[in-house]
Amino acid sequence: MKSHTYGRKALACAGATLLAVTTLLSACSSPSGTGTTGTTGATGAAGGDGSCTNKITKASAPQVTVWAWYPAFEEVVDLFNSTHDDVQICWSNVGAGGNEYNRFTTAIQAKSGAPDVIQLENEVLGGYLIQDALVDLTKYGANDVKANYTEGAWKDSSSGDGVYAIPVDGGPVGFMYRQDIFDKYKVAVPKTWEDFAQAAQQLKDAGFQGYMTDYAPNAIAEWQGLYNQAGASTFSFDIANPEKLGVDINSAPAKKVQAYWNDLISKKLVATDDAFTTDWYTKIVDGTYATVVAAAWQPGYLSGIAGADPAAKWVSAPILQWNGAKPAQVNWGGSTFAVTTQAKQPDLAAKVALDVFGNLDAWKIGVEKAALFPTYLPELTSDSFKNLASPFFNGQQINKDVYLPAAQGYSGTVYSPFTTYYYDQMTQANAKMIQGDITSDQVLDQVQDAIVSYATQQGFTVNK
Amino acid sequence: MTKHHSQPVGGYHPKHVGSHVFLVILCVYFLIPLWWVLVAATKSNRDLFVSSSGALWFGQNFSLFDNITQLTTYQDGIYWRWLGNSLLYALLGGGGATIISVLAGYGFAKYQFKGRGFVFMLVLGAVMVPGTALVVPLFVMFNQVSLLNTMWSVVLPSLLSPVGTYLIRVYCQDALPDELTDAARVDGAGELRTFWSVALPQLRPAVITVLLLSVVATWNNFFLPSVMLANSKLWPITVGLNTWLINTRVSSGADQVWNLVVTGAFVSVVPLVIVFLLLQKYWQSGLTLGALK
Amino acid sequence: MSLSTLATRPLEERRSTARRLTAQQSTARRSTTRRSAARRQWWGWLFVSPFLVVFVLFLVAPLIYAGWMSLWRKGLVGKVKFTGLGNYVTAFTDPVFLHGLTRVGLYVLVMVPIQIGLGAVIALILDVAMTRLARVSRLLIFLPYAVPAMVGALMWGFLYSPLFGPLGQLFGIFGASAPTILSPDGVFGGLVNVVTWQWVGYYMIIIYSALRAVDPSLYEAATLDGASNVQISWHIKLPLIVPSMIMCTVFSLIGTLQFYTEPMVLRSSAQSAIPSDYTPNMYAASLGFNQSRFNYASTISFSLGVIVFIGSYIFLFLTRKRNGLR
Repeated sequence: MKSHTYGRKALACAGATLLAVTTLLSACSSPSGTGTTGTTGATGAAGGDGSCTNKITKASAPQVTVWAWYPAFEEVVDLFNSTHDDVQICWSNVGAGGNEYNRFTTAIQAKSGAPDVIQLENEVLGGYLIQDALVDLTKYGANDVKANYTEGAWKDSSSGDGVYAIPVDGGPVGFMYRQDIFDKYKVAVPKTWEDFAQAAQQLKDAGFQGYMTDYAPNAIAEWQGLYNQAGASTFSFDIANPEKLGVDINSAPAKKVQAYWNDLISKKLVATDDAFTTDWYTKIVDGTYATVVAAAWQPGYLSGIAGADPAAKWVSAPILQWNGAKPAQVNWGGSTFAVTTQAKQPDLAAKVALDVFGNLDAWKIGVEKAALFPTYLPELTSDSFKNLASPFFNGQQINKDVYLPAAQGYSGTVYSPFTTYYYDQMTQANAKMIQGDITSDQVLDQVQDAIVSYATQQGFTVNK
Repeated sequence: MTKHHSQPVGGYHPKHVGSHVFLVILCVYFLIPLWWVLVAATKSNRDLFVSSSGALWFGQNFSLFDNITQLTTYQDGIYWRWLGNSLLYALLGGGGATIISVLAGYGFAKYQFKGRGFVFMLVLGAVMVPGTALVVPLFVMFNQVSLLNTMWSVVLPSLLSPVGTYLIRVYCQDALPDELTDAARVDGAGELRTFWSVALPQLRPAVITVLLLSVVATWNNFFLPSVMLANSKLWPITVGLNTWLINTRVSSGADQVWNLVVTGAFVSVVPLVIVFLLLQKYWQSGLTLGALK
Repeated sequence: MSLSTLATRPLEERRSTARRLTAQQSTARRSTTRRSAARRQWWGWLFVSPFLVVFVLFLVAPLIYAGWMSLWRKGLVGKVKFTGLGNYVTAFTDPVFLHGLTRVGLYVLVMVPIQIGLGAVIALILDVAMTRLARVSRLLIFLPYAVPAMVGALMWGFLYSPLFGPLGQLFGIFGASAPTILSPDGVFGGLVNVVTWQWVGYYMIIIYSALRAVDPSLYEAATLDGASNVQISWHIKLPLIVPSMIMCTVFSLIGTLQFYTEPMVLRSSAQSAIPSDYTPNMYAASLGFNQSRFNYASTISFSLGVIVFIGSYIFLFLTRKRNGLR
């Protein structure tokens, strides 16, 4: 068996190669690493120490660990750290949305490993409140800055008398459409939902090959906004009475909205692609959808891949209404900074939550680099923000025209304490409706039943 | 290596056309995703979405090097750190698992100790426990000993390889006659020496196989590290790429880095493919160890 | 994961080895003194001990812990209370869990035969065709095994996207619209394909190794009699590699019942087709890490473990005459 000696050599050689590659890689990555203490693999307990993504310049000041997912947040952190001597932010990006929430949930279960300050969307705050994971910020002066934020955003991050997070960005909803498509097929741009259904039919009749818009079965937050616009108030919940929960998913207004969309789906006037997929992005920019019901953050995100259709002429308009005389605004998305109950120095953590986006310099970065839509009134109502010309909309001042009034007109929503579960149920029911297995009423009735039984099983006293 | 097969039956039949066509079709099928990822890695973000040449051919602009440069700068080049972590965990976890399996497999095969049968039954049973079923309790346990969010929370559980132990035992029984070890003992060699200089050289093909299997298993690890590690600097490439994928899909903070997700996937596939190609003689002989005797 | 070589040795050969080994062992036993036997026992434990430590720490202990956790119940609001086997009663009447089990059962029925069957067919072809093309294809077919499951699923997810991937263009050539693989109807096939792509090569290599160990004299006579390659493969070679195919089936079975990474990764591009509780493992993960219901998550994990164990045990029992396990 002469292969043995050969084998040993080759094995040693392969081992050496692997080691060399590893060394090379770690050598490559360390200079561009943080340069702070303890960047070696083995350190980094409790979600923070030594694991900051940013550089800490003032090593002697106490540190507050923050989880946030916007890549451009690094500049905001640097700004905060350079303007504060008493506290420094140690930032980690542990993933967006659900990815981060899962880690937070595990850290709560483990009773350690959570950051001091965490970026959370409005819709999930309730779920963490009932786990006693968030600090009431009223005792750290949150109410002093209440006047700085839009009414809807403030309400979304409060529960009862408590304020459990400081709003950062919002998602006021507008209506964007392809002027060139409407012109080409000589169809009037709709102003109300009634018009919208008619225009969809007219476009199709005139030979338009695409769809009026997309009904994404997984964009529940968006459809929830439209139920609310029609007058639904799906959940009632107040952390002062955490065991009481009101559930009214199958309300008349919600059923009306659901039936409206199901009708458009069955007439094949709207598409039914999942949102946030590559195809969805492609179809938005290539003219498959003539219109998009879009939150303020969407156009900014699209600009990275725009240009697929050189003929595209996008225009932004206010959200369509059921009753033109009594316009109701809609919000989709938006995030906040909350202080966790695992924070060792909650006062410092609260200071970070309050200050990090509490100034115009930070917002300049947020607006320009991360396409965030501010809930911070000094920025929101500043001339520079109002007059911002959007390249995606050929220079239209969309904030002034559409999103600023939408943000100021939005009055807030009450979310359930298990939003992800609710969204999952709705997504599955919507998918069934699109397949034609159940009616639009059944979607809401079935999810109502599922949620009531889930909530009861979880210990809530449910008020239907 | 002796071969019964030096003259395979039917080896020169000229009428393998049908099977060769079948093989070509299979090769195309198995290569398509790898070809796609290679092509896609040469495209810019925009070209990925709007490329007239289609998804399976190169676009007008060749952006591979731009993309790789971006990989080294995006988020301070954390991508390379993830790749390094993956290699480190694979070597530590896979290597450690191999050492432990070789020792145990040899012990089970060559020593008659009380309770051996029972313990070995347990090992067999362990093959059937879903690894993911252990993740939740391991999470809670690691938290109690403050190992959560350290590399050890990923490496230590990877040291367990019941399959590897089983393989080594079977191989020891078949390829390592007792005369050999007994002879060494008669010559006055201790147990350790017998293992090291007599048994181990005989076991090389099995060791390489087990090493390969455990390195690949650790390298593929996804669920365990995604639960154990909150610190993004400790992530292996699988968790890191998945995070980029999700972040890009919901396009948080206007960061659509499809090109980095795709190029990252491409670059991450390259090292193991190269290792497999370089070592093919060894893993193939290792996996064919049934034919070795 | 797998026990590749266990399966690679043909049954007859292994039996004769076993007989020979027993004979050797009995001679060896007579020649050793009682004291050295005791010392060797001690050495045996010593060799096995690192494994046992790891085994107890990272398998037995978490299993016991999961069992313990599964005996308690906690809602989103309210206190923890002991429920005994109450969670198991809930689990085995929980439509989501049962549906998930049925679903992975269906995957087992479809995916396992495809993987093992295709693996065996390719191995049989490669065993006959010893050309350069055959050697290259053996390598290429095995290559996906080197790609992490997460990355494999990510790549296929992009490929399935009709506009982003090539499907729209390919089908467009024939004037057809691309199949919607990421839809509720298509995703089953889509996932079967991802797993097949990833694992066929691995099973192929194991079965191929078993074939290489077959003594050619067993079918040389048949060749002289004019039997075709297909006949030889079917009547002579196939029965000889049954034990290795059975072992491959067990690995594939265990893997499929634990289905997690591929649907999890594809889910990010097919949320309406793949719910968060698509497979029992995904359900357990979602219960724990998303809904904070760690006790019930442990119950689901534990129940799944027991089912996998029973399933593989039954399979090994049914095939006990051919599986080569003693």
